[in-house]
Amino acid sequence: MTEIRKKSRLNRATGWDVLIVIILTLIAIMIFLPFYNAVVISLETNRAYALHPVSMYPVEFTLRNYAHLIEKGQIGVGYRNTIFITFAGTVLSMFAMVAMAYAFSRKRFPGKKFFFLLMMFTMFFSGGMIPTYLQFKNLGLINSVWAIILYSGVSAYNIIILKNGFEQTPPELEEAAKIDGANDLVIFLRVELPLQGALLATFTLFTAVGYWNEWFWSTLLINSGSKMTLQVVLKAIVAESAALEDVSTGEAGLDAFAQGIKMAAVMLTMVPIMCLYPFLQKYFVKGVLVGSVKM
Amino acid sequence: MRTRLNRLGRNIWQARYIYMLLIPGLLFFIIFHYVPMNGVVLAFKKFNARLGIWGSPSVGWANFERIFRTPDALTAIKNTFEINLSRLVFQFPAAIILALLLNEMRGTRTKRIYQTIYTFPHFLSWVVVSSILSNFLASGGLINSVIVSLGGTRVNFLADTALFRPLLYLTHNWKEMGWDSIIYMAAIAGIDPTLYEAATVDGAGRMQQVFHVTLPSILSTIVILFILQVGRIMNAGFEQIFYMQNPAVMKVSDVLDTYIYSITFKATPNYGFSAAVGLFKSAINLVMLLVANFAVKKASGSGLFA
Repeated sequence: MTEIRKKSRLNRATGWDVLIVIILTLIAIMIFLPFYNAVVISLETNRAYALHPVSMYPVEFTLRNYAHLIEKGQIGVGYRNTIFITFAGTVLSMFAMVAMAYAFSRKRFPGKKFFFLLMMFTMFFSGGMIPTYLQFKNLGLINSVWAIILYSGVSAYNIIILKNGFEQTPPELEEAAKIDGANDLVIFLRVELPLQGALLATFTLFTAVGYWNEWFWSTLLINSGSKMTLQVVLKAIVAESAALEDVSTGEAGLDAFAQGIKMAAVMLTMVPIMCLYPFLQKYFVKGVLVGSVKM
Repeated sequence: MRTRLNRLGRNIWQARYIYMLLIPGLLFFIIFHYVPMNGVVLAFKKFNARLGIWGSPSVGWANFERIFRTPDALTAIKNTFEINLSRLVFQFPAAIILALLLNEMRGTRTKRIYQTIYTFPHFLSWVVVSSILSNFLASGGLINSVIVSLGGTRVNFLADTALFRPLLYLTHNWKEMGWDSIIYMAAIAGIDPTLYEAATVDGAGRMQQVFHVTLPSILSTIVILFILQVGRIMNAGFEQIFYMQNPAVMKVSDVLDTYIYSITFKATPNYGFSAAVGLFKSAINLVMLLVANFAVKKASGSGLFA
């Protein structure tokens, strides 16, 4: 194919090529524009926004929307809780998933099929929201960040992909370790884990992003303000925008305003993901690739 | 018999470290998935918090019969089916088309830059995405300002019953299309190059190569993802709908997930009824998955559970 591709590159661009570039560029613009628009509004003063709701740059640059959010403190609390949940959750979930995936990658042991089906069944059938909620209640995890930490990171789907990754280790390496007298645990720690660095990095990042974005159970289970997660805080800020409207009347329209505060909150929630994105991108193709097609 | 038992015992002992590694994961699935699964008996009970799940009186199929006598529940069931079938039509092919287009684009570097943009929204939560997009689509937002400057009248996108569903598919594609296309891009990268050479020799143009080489080669990937999608037919994408929903569009947007949520967390919840709706949903999902898998297996010889 490389040869054909080279040849075709020498050809001049056809109408077909131009059409494809136009379509793909339009899609890219449609994805980028809403983000850019949000950034601009978050940096705008109330007065300027009222006069120019659509602008390609902040007409009157201000950081007041951000300042207002930080002064109010909710965002800080959300940040603290979410960072804790993300760290603790990622460590614990990755430990459970990687250990299980490695176990399932072993050739045969009594009960392997049974345990595997036990795990896989959860992908297709669940008790539903109410029974799960009552289980949290039984465990005393209502209004506890530990509910989110323990529950929302482990996924059967990821375990299957990790398992497929472990299965790709050349068997000779294990044989050699076995001859040296290593047991399954030693092989896991000394042979498999170091070899699967990229795969582990991928899923660590995915899991962390999952925790960062978790909203559903956080909102159901956590009801005290001091334990709220960032996404719940953001949702609250977006929802109470009507109440925020009166903020905007002060100081001759130079103050923070509802839409600006909303977009500033969105930006603050997004920033860590944006910082992580280059790393995510480096790995995600690999993560999607490794065995996800052959279950 | 005894030797077989001995052998089993020895095999178990040999695998002792493997079991050790299984324990954390198994505990998780048992505590957070299998114990709640027992809770589905709630669907057959009139729940009384004082008596607990098991102590509550049994009511047989009454909760399920009530689903079919409750207009709101029936609307939710109808909406769930309609929205998800439309998702199969308007969302599922989008990622495939995007992958094919990207594959036809020249220049690895540009391709990567475009992919960077397409994939980014996948990593954001629906709270973030819906805030950004509703700002964009608001009556004072960018889209409407463009419409007005072109001489049109403002459109209240998010409160229009006719526009709500198309917007669901559009915004979902906006967020997930790039990510979903990666798996197809990977499958395309794995196609044997000699196939294209042969096609070129046979005089196939680029368009023909797409339809006669690329598409058939990634068919098995498409089939697997299609089965999985059908297995989620009753999950209409709770978070997306929940954030975009508003009273004006309730009639076309209330799906089973949002319905369960709203009846469970209102003033006088009926846990038994909520659980029955939930179980009804899970059961249909499971049946649909098995049916889709069976149909595909019959047609092509390979399904999800090979």
